[in-house]
Amino acid sequence: MDETFTLLPLHLDPSSKAISTSSTSSTSSSSALTTELATLNALHRTLLSLETPGKTPPPPIPVNPKRSAAITKMRENGNAHFRKGAHAEAVRLYTFAIDMALGRPVWEPAGLVREEVAGLFANRAAAQMGLRNFPEAAVDAETSVEMKRIGNAKAWWRRGKCLVEMGRLRESKDWLGKALEVEGKEAEIVGLLAEVKKELERRGE
Amino acid sequence: MVDWVSLAIPFAYLGILVGSLATFSYLYRQRKANKAASLAPWFGPHLQRNIYLTLLHLEPESTGEKKGPAVPETVLKAALLRRATEDVQRVIAVRNAKPALTTLLQRGSVGDDLWQRFLRAEKEIEEELRDVIQEANAFTPGWGATIFQSANEIHNNQTVRKRIEEIQSQAATERQWWDKKRENTQAQFMKELESEKPSTPKAKPTESPASGSVTANPSAPEAPAAAAAAAPQTGNTAGSEEDAVLVESGGPTIGADSAAGGGAKAGKKKKGKK
Repeated sequence: MDETFTLLPLHLDPSSKAISTSSTSSTSSSSALTTELATLNALHRTLLSLETPGKTPPPPIPVNPKRSAAITKMRENGNAHFRKGAHAEAVRLYTFAIDMALGRPVWEPAGLVREEVAGLFANRAAAQMGLRNFPEAAVDAETSVEMKRIGNAKAWWRRGKCLVEMGRLRESKDWLGKALEVEGKEAEIVGLLAEVKKELERRGE
Repeated sequence: MVDWVSLAIPFAYLGILVGSLATFSYLYRQRKANKAASLAPWFGPHLQRNIYLTLLHLEPESTGEKKGPAVPETVLKAALLRRATEDVQRVIAVRNAKPALTTLLQRGSVGDDLWQRFLRAEKEIEEELRDVIQEANAFTPGWGATIFQSANEIHNNQTVRKRIEEIQSQAATERQWWDKKRENTQAQFMKELESEKPSTPKAKPTESPASGSVTANPSAPEAPAAAAAAAPQTGNTAGSEEDAVLVESGGPTIGADSAAGGGAKAGKKKKGKK
């Protein structure tokens, strides 16, 4: 890239140190600039909360263990409530944990976030099923699968089950078929798929 | 004795030849350079880079006699990190495009211009990366080694969060659809029940307002209850045929029954969880 750049009409707020643009035109390029500046300011705030010398983001690994511990604790708590049958409370706790996992500093490993969030969404799906909130449970299970496709048979099964509950048998059959492709011969998925097929046949479709 | 006149002819020939070749080469190169310069860049303007460099060159604003503060280093670091993130996206784009573009070029499906643009973009991005690493090391020694790791994770995190948001945003519409569907099936169920019992017309006027309230307030446990209440009435009028109809129309009811089993199963499965 050559040694030139476009000078942008930027302005620094002396007290909050936030960067803003002084251009008032509402073209698409200036709206891109505004969103970019918003991201920049958010990133700056997370940088300020750092404890490393010089406020430089550390390398992705090792991860600050505090947040991981808090998330694990929240999940254990949610699991305990779930086992007792307090599904609403479990949903609340899982939601907390999910927010916390998604609130990790952005330079921490995304793989870790995926892993955590996949488990949490799968658990929340189960709790939502307990509350008979099938649409929410189906969406949660789908999110979980999206985050972790392989080795996540429970989430696959849960979405399939929710679709059955909502009467979307065709969709459920497709979904479970996909699940079998990814997960191999998982007994529970095979069983549910057989049920769905039988039900479809009974309805003459 | 050398014959200068006859010797001048080959020299003149050589001179003209070399001269014309040189002129051609010069013109050809110039035209090519012009063409290359007029090629559109592969990527759009690098917004993050512009922001970073603007901030770097931002003069402290002098308002009155008091001088405004200079841009703090943390802001510059954040801007550099944003720039690195955008670079990571560009590097990924270049790497993804390269094999496909090479194949297309070999087959002659794309022109040379495109390939030139691509090569230039590749070179530009290399220089850009080097520049960012230098800048990072200037802030904190050793940061240059990790800034792109961080930027890569930032990029991945952004994609993950966007995807989650996308999927989770479906929840509201799914819920609306489900509520509507449940209402519909319940209304239909009630209607079928009523049309199935012409032999007991007396029950009709008293029954219908109640069923109306049930459909208006769709909550799952009521459906089986309503079915149970209706079952004795219909059961005595006709035999197996009625049952078949009940089962047929009772899609959601059956679902609800098996849902209880499903819930229990989910509970059991849960214990094996990490």
